[in-house]
Amino acid sequence: MSETMTSNLSSKVLVLDDSDEHALAIKEFCDENNLIALKVRKNRLMSVLQSNIDLGAILYSDNYGGSTRENAEIAIKIHTFRPELPIIIRREKLATLDDMPEIVQSVFCAAYVISDMGALRKVIDEYIFSLVYPNALVRGISEITETVLASQFKMLSISWSTPYIVRDRVIFGEVFSLIPLESNWCRGYMMLQTEEEPILEALGLFSADDASTNFRSVNSLLGEITNLIWGSFKNRYIGDASATSGNLIQVPLVVNHRHKYISFGTENPQLCFLYTLVDETTGRTVKLYQRFIFNLHWSPDDFKEIQHDTEELVESGELELF
Amino acid sequence: MAKILVVDDSSTVRDEVAGFLKKNSLDVATAVDGKDGLSKIKADPGIKLVLCDINMPNMDGLTMAEKVRGELGNSAVHIIMLTTESSPNMKERGKAAGIKGWIVKPFKGDAVLGTIQKLAS
Repeated sequence: MSETMTSNLSSKVLVLDDSDEHALAIKEFCDENNLIALKVRKNRLMSVLQSNIDLGAILYSDNYGGSTRENAEIAIKIHTFRPELPIIIRREKLATLDDMPEIVQSVFCAAYVISDMGALRKVIDEYIFSLVYPNALVRGISEITETVLASQFKMLSISWSTPYIVRDRVIFGEVFSLIPLESNWCRGYMMLQTEEEPILEALGLFSADDASTNFRSVNSLLGEITNLIWGSFKNRYIGDASATSGNLIQVPLVVNHRHKYISFGTENPQLCFLYTLVDETTGRTVKLYQRFIFNLHWSPDDFKEIQHDTEELVESGELELF
Repeated sequence: MAKILVVDDSSTVRDEVAGFLKKNSLDVATAVDGKDGLSKIKADPGIKLVLCDINMPNMDGLTMAEKVRGELGNSAVHIIMLTTESSPNMKERGKAAGIKGWIVKPFKGDAVLGTIQKLAS
C-alpha cells in the first residue's frame, strides 16, 4: 500500500464469541488491525443488529449460542437479517467451512483459527479494507465538511470521529441526501444522513404542531449542506475535468423505506464519517453521517488535488469583481 | 434604492440572503431557478442587481445570465453569481455572459454588503 493511501481507517466489528480463552487474542487482533470490537448480550443481539448502522463485519465462532444446531440457527438468522455484513467464523480445529451443511456454509464468508490470525487479516483486507483511500482525500473531506457545517450551524460546536469503513446498508435517521460524484478517478455518491428532530431543534423550529411543514426546512438545509460540500469537493479534487469519457454506466439505487435500507448495487465497503454538533448551552446534539459510495468507478492511483494559482484565489464569501 | 433579485433553488439560501439584505433596508425579490429568475427580470424593470446560483434545476444560472444579455437584450442589470463553483472555466463563461462578479458560497453578507449596496443604487 502506498504511503499516500490511508492505513488508519477503522471499522466496527461485532464479536460473537463465547471463548474466554481466546478473548484476549481477538481483542489484540482487533486493536492491531484498526477494528473496533463490539460485544453484545445474546438477548439483545437482534435489536443491536437492527439499530447499529455502521458495522463492517461480524466475528462469529462455532461455540457461540450453545449447541451446534443453535449456533447454526443464530448464524442463519443474522445472515438473513443482515446479508450485507460478512460473517467470519472462528473454528476450533481447521479454518474451513467444508464440514458444514451447505445451508450453513453459505452464511459465512470465511473461517479462521486462533493459531493463524494472519489468515484472518487477509479476510479482513478482502471484505472490509478492500478499497484504499488516499490520506489527502480523507483529510480533505473532513476539513471541507467541518467548514461547511460551521458556516451553517454557527452556534454549535462540531467534532468528528476517526473515519471508518462500513458495509452496512441501513439508513440512519429519517432524512438523507444523495449527490453524484463524477471524475476520472471516482464515480459514485456522497450521502448525508441525519435525524429530523435534532435539526429542527437546532434551527429553533421544533414544534409538534408544525412538524408537517417544518420538515421542509430540514430538507432544504440538508440539501444546501450537501451542495456546499459537493462544490468544495469538486473545486478541490475534480476541477474542470470531464467525468469520464465513453459510455457512462449507471446502476439502479434501491431504497426500502420499511427496512430503512439502501442499496447501491454493489457490495463495496463505504467510507464513513460521523460528525457531531453540540449545542453547548443545552447539551443537545445533532448527528450527521456522511458516506462515500464509489460504486461505479474507483481508481485512487489517479486521485489528485487541484492546484489553484494562489494569486487567483478569492476567499469564500468574498466578492470577486470582473 | 433599486430592487435585488436572489435566484437560488435552495430555500435555505434564499431565506438567508434575502433576509440579510432586507435587514439592511434593501428591496428584495426571490426566484427559485433560472427560468423563474428570467421571467422576473423580464417582468420587473426595477430589478437592478441579481444574486444568482449556478447549479439549479430547469435553468442554470449561467444560462439565465446569457439569456438576460441575449434574449432580453438587458445589459443594465448587474449579475453576480453566488455559487459553490469556482472553476476558471465557469468564471470565463460567466465573464463572457457579462457577469459583474463572483461569490463562492457560503454567503458572508457583511463582506459584500457595501458593494451590493453600491451596485443596487
